[in-house]
Amino acid sequence: MIASGSPAVELSGLTKDFALGLRGVRLRAVDNLSLAIAPGEIFGLLGPNGSGKSTTIKVILGLLRPTTGVCRVFGVSSEQVEARLAVGYLPEAPHFYRFLSGRELVTFYGRICGLQGATLAARVVEVITWVGLAEAADRRVGTYSKGMLQRIGLAQALVHDPQLVILDEPTAGVDPIGAAAITELIRELKARGKTVLITSHLLAQIEEVCDRVAILDKGRLLACGTVAALSAEGKNSSDTLNAAEQAELAQWLVARGKTAAALGGPSARLDQIFIERVERNRQQTEERAP
Amino acid sequence: MNTVPFSLRRVGLIAGVTLREALRQKLLHALVLIAAGLVLGVRGLRDFNFGISELKFIADFGDGAIAGFGAALTIALTAQLFFSEIEHRTALTLLAKPVWRTEFLLGKFLGVAVVAVAFCGLLTATLVGVLGQRQLALQVDQPEAWAAAHAVNFGALWVSAYLHALKLALLAAGTLLVASFAQTQIFAVMAGGAGFVICHLQGLAQAAYERNAASLMSVPATLIHWMFPDFQRFVLPADGTWTWSGLAQVSVYAGVYAAVALALAVRSFREREV
Repeated sequence: MIASGSPAVELSGLTKDFALGLRGVRLRAVDNLSLAIAPGEIFGLLGPNGSGKSTTIKVILGLLRPTTGVCRVFGVSSEQVEARLAVGYLPEAPHFYRFLSGRELVTFYGRICGLQGATLAARVVEVITWVGLAEAADRRVGTYSKGMLQRIGLAQALVHDPQLVILDEPTAGVDPIGAAAITELIRELKARGKTVLITSHLLAQIEEVCDRVAILDKGRLLACGTVAALSAEGKNSSDTLNAAEQAELAQWLVARGKTAAALGGPSARLDQIFIERVERNRQQTEERAP
Repeated sequence: MNTVPFSLRRVGLIAGVTLREALRQKLLHALVLIAAGLVLGVRGLRDFNFGISELKFIADFGDGAIAGFGAALTIALTAQLFFSEIEHRTALTLLAKPVWRTEFLLGKFLGVAVVAVAFCGLLTATLVGVLGQRQLALQVDQPEAWAAAHAVNFGALWVSAYLHALKLALLAAGTLLVASFAQTQIFAVMAGGAGFVICHLQGLAQAAYERNAASLMSVPATLIHWMFPDFQRFVLPADGTWTWSGLAQVSVYAGVYAAVALALAVRSFREREV
């Protein structure tokens, strides 16, 4: 049962260790991670390879058990099967049963989620059309391109109309046109009131669609907030304009028939923030190391 | 309160997709073709009959082909279908849905079990056809030499097929137990093969050590006797006699061992990090 008023995802002191070999050596993939994702929010989880993003997602999906800490999905412990009723998941570089057609695949996952009869048939048509695969729905999944696999993956993730959609690198290996289409689908999910947790290496994409982002490195949370807030944190006061300078600049723009948009994006883009935070963390880790 | 109860419907769906995947495996096609080819071509080998009657030789040879190829097929298919889910990460997508790991494993088991049953049925039907045709030919060609006592017991052939199917289902459960904790497919296949040999020989070893109770080996032999099912119980006596109560006993025996193996597999798979 989904608890009303609960965060879509709530991680509290989450730590996940993996045993390496038989000598008791352990790798800490996630280190005391705490964050909450509100319902209806698009939340970006960023981090370099090996930062703990996928492990965090697997814990949220109940595929891994936390070593310590708690993970709840709409107030239900992620270790319970019940928590997955409200979750749709698109894995990174998804593989599906290649011998099924797109329609059969989505129907299979719909049935697994308890849909049946006319409801299932209508829902399958709806999600397949929504992801733009109506014409290829009866082709075998084994013949699909990477972009089509991502789309059919999105369709299977959405077939049971989940409240939380987890997208792990949804645009990995997809061409820019396909990536733009997927970005548009994510925006539509937001418009439908869904909560979306997304990881991506395409920081521009994250910046474009996410309400908030968290940056992870070596399992630790380095930063969490809106892109604007993180961007502001990174600025020095000497880099910013005071009120008089801003007024002067506005006058200068108006005189030339332009608006502030002509100045381009924010002075600190997400990719800059990301690189700066990760490098700083690594420097500090090296300094702390004996 | 738990709102996602265990569902036989989901087990059936997973079994269905497992079966469809199994039917596409080239290994399955190859083993079925070789086994069927051996049964169909057994008349060409009748010179190696070691003095037994031709029909008895054909029946024994066919039975051996079903047992041997059935075991190889079951072990390889169980390991392959389980590990393909893990390695291709289709298990990730499936287990991220409201699916119990018990349902996943039972679905895999049932999918393989259906293939094993179909294999035994198909090969036995082929064997019945070959034997029936040869028996008819012998009756027509050598009416004087033909003795009714040599007539094929077709009922026993189907009972034997049932026992083979039970044994293969048990073997699938055992292989799934190994696969649930094994890191590689080859390990699961090797362990499944070793298990098959142990299950066939442990009854004989136990009987031998029982005759010599003082032997140190009697303790591990007894342990193995309880841990592994005795596959000799699934073999019909040479005269082909069988009883319904005997069949029921063997069915319960297989059911208990399969249930224990599957329960342990579920326990192990729950701890596995997918």
